[in-house]
Amino acid sequence: MNVLAEGYARRALVEVLLVGGLCGVVGVHVVLRRLSFFTMSMTHATFPGIVLAALLGLNLYLGAGLFGVLLVLAVAWLWSRPGANESSVVGVVLSAGFALGVLLLSAQSGFTKDLSAYLVGSVLTVQPADLVVTAGVGAAVLLLLATLRKELVLGAFDRGGLRALGYPAALLDIVLLLAIEATVVSAVPAVGVILSVALIVAPAATARLWTDRLATMTVVAVGVGAVSGVVGLVISQQARVSAGAAIVLVACGCFALSWLGAPRYGMVHRLLLRRRMVFA
Amino acid sequence: MLYRLLVEPFGFPFMARALTEAMLLGVLGGVVSVAVVLRRFAFVSDALTHTVFPGVVIGFMVAGAGGIVWGALVFAVFSAVLLTVLSSNRRVTEDATLAILLTGFFSVGVVLVSRRSSYTADLTAFLFGRILTVDRREILETAVVTVLVLAVLAVLGKELLLRAFDPDGSAALGYRVGLLDLALNVMVALVVVAAVKAVGTLLVIALLVVPAAAARLLTDRLALLVGASVLVGVLGGWLGLAVSYHASVYYGLRLASGATVVLALVALYAVAFAVGSARRMVSHHAPAAERA
Repeated sequence: MNVLAEGYARRALVEVLLVGGLCGVVGVHVVLRRLSFFTMSMTHATFPGIVLAALLGLNLYLGAGLFGVLLVLAVAWLWSRPGANESSVVGVVLSAGFALGVLLLSAQSGFTKDLSAYLVGSVLTVQPADLVVTAGVGAAVLLLLATLRKELVLGAFDRGGLRALGYPAALLDIVLLLAIEATVVSAVPAVGVILSVALIVAPAATARLWTDRLATMTVVAVGVGAVSGVVGLVISQQARVSAGAAIVLVACGCFALSWLGAPRYGMVHRLLLRRRMVFA
Repeated sequence: MLYRLLVEPFGFPFMARALTEAMLLGVLGGVVSVAVVLRRFAFVSDALTHTVFPGVVIGFMVAGAGGIVWGALVFAVFSAVLLTVLSSNRRVTEDATLAILLTGFFSVGVVLVSRRSSYTADLTAFLFGRILTVDRREILETAVVTVLVLAVLAVLGKELLLRAFDPDGSAALGYRVGLLDLALNVMVALVVVAAVKAVGTLLVIALLVVPAAAARLLTDRLALLVGASVLVGVLGGWLGLAVSYHASVYYGLRLASGATVVLALVALYAVAFAVGSARRMVSHHAPAAERA
């Protein structure tokens, strides 16, 4: 483990642990509410915010964050229209946002380098300030999710019930979307677009294969997220491959193994069960 | 003025080739996007645009530029099959499976590419393509895929439509729902493969969603939907290329042509949205008898 003794490696380790934990918790809501595509689109569509902030010399988080709030409101408004097709709306917003970012960037020079850092991140160059932002956003999002936990879970399983009980369902939706957006924005500059989506969805989906209980699911998701981060980081140092990609592959590996071998909902178990029923 | 904006740029051979490619993709995207939007497959399309990436990289490593299409094709079909299989576990919803598949495959590509030296240039070309440098062979490949996909849709159109609106009814009639899903997945994958080298993943996902999403705002009838969607796809390609040419030649503003095409498509979506809303408002205020 002495590859992690260097200062930059220790900062990277802290960042992946923070991001892994935060994404695990948020991911549970993303998976329960089927918001994976929305999460993916947020990572792409906040891109113009980052480019604009870089052009104007503002803070990247601020640019992406403000632009993201606009997008969340746009998506929520388009979803509330009669006859809206949720996945198409997300697809249109994703294309529009990302294309706008590319357009802004192409009007500049020095195009390619920034972009690949944005896509796959550069976790090894994380600065102490990034750690503070991640920790701050993480604390705020966790506090919010903990406070609204009961309402959000009810909304995920029984929207009609939530509304009948007098809760403002649309407002709760926007709050959840904003929490997801904040998580994505705080993770993207350090770890990149692809990694942030993988770290949000894969640990929570893995946990879902192991347990029915929400509290257990959250704990397992946090654990899988953090462990994937550390193991991926070590592998990338040893094998000299992109750190972000290595972390994603470890997280996806956890999901693949669970999909096959989880005790009740795994493929192997279901096949055995079917055979037993045939022979019984 | 309009002539100068819309016709003149395409006097150059490279612009004419780019326009031909954009038109072909507009027709192809317009038709396939109807299936994508009706089946709510936007995320599947997005995922397939990313999962072909390792295929592109491996194809290039093994056989140079000519290997890209074959590598992409193998990975596209492989991921379409894997997607259909993985979705069989009801415990994890399809969207989560897609996100994991997408990021996993893409990461394999990144790992492979990150061991090469010209890493960022490769990644950029994959994402945005180079529509202004498409050659005759690529146009031919796109044309072949267009004919193939249109033929398959002509044969399977009715079944796919039934499956989109009434999966249980379709299964009860004895159709193999899984096979129909696989057919649509493979078709989307083919579009991705045909277009990715010329225009990049970004434009592909826009072409696979935006035209039909815009058309859907205007009409409920399938025939009109397909027609309007093709029109949006073709118009978006044409306008986008013309605008990006003008900005760079007359105003010294370099606009990435792929991204400009996407934004032209989105602008058409916004127009359709405005027209649809206005029409609904008018019919809302009309007397009930007229509405019926």
